[in-house]
Amino acid sequence: MVIIPATTDQMGVLPGHAPTIAELKPEILSVHEGNDVTKYFLSSGFAFIHANSNADIIDVEAVSVDRIDPSLVQKGLAEFTHKLSSASTFFFAHKVQLQLTWRKLRQIGVDVRSVLNSGLSGYPLSPSLSYND
Amino acid sequence: MASNAAVPFWRAAGMTYITYSNICANLVRNCLKEPYKTEALTREKVHFSIATWNDGKAEKPVLRSDTPED
Repeated sequence: MVIIPATTDQMGVLPGHAPTIAELKPEILSVHEGNDVTKYFLSSGFAFIHANSNADIIDVEAVSVDRIDPSLVQKGLAEFTHKLSSASTFFFAHKVQLQLTWRKLRQIGVDVRSVLNSGLSGYPLSPSLSYND
Repeated sequence: MASNAAVPFWRAAGMTYITYSNICANLVRNCLKEPYKTEALTREKVHFSIATWNDGKAEKPVLRSDTPED
């Protein structure tokens, strides 16, 4: 089974799934084979599930989660959270862009942490900015 | 009439999907470990030439490149 991060929230795909085209969020894609799970981070992209149970995941930059450096993620998150809070309303487009960046970085951080099971404490999850806003 | 159906946030911000997707990809590349990071950043290099046309004639093309001139 593959869990695909569609913009309409996670979808689990098994053989025999209805043919679907889904736009993807920048999030983790996980491939479950029995008890083995392999995780990849997708930067965005699309998933095409065909009638013959083949699925294509199309993305500009899809990386295996173990290639991500959590310290760089945290650094980027701090930088963009700062930029977001200081962006004036006049630069709305810029702010939206930063917010999506923030969201994405937060997702990388959250999932990398759970995968690596490391002691990344004090991860800066701002309570005022929920994932669904 | 009523406005269009819910527009994705990047479209509302004046971006195209390609712009959004490339920004996301760039963010991911900057978070990679070496050597994957340098390898991925080579994928961002562009090399192209633009010529604007005026009155049916091409003006002098401008070359834009990240690769050093040979």
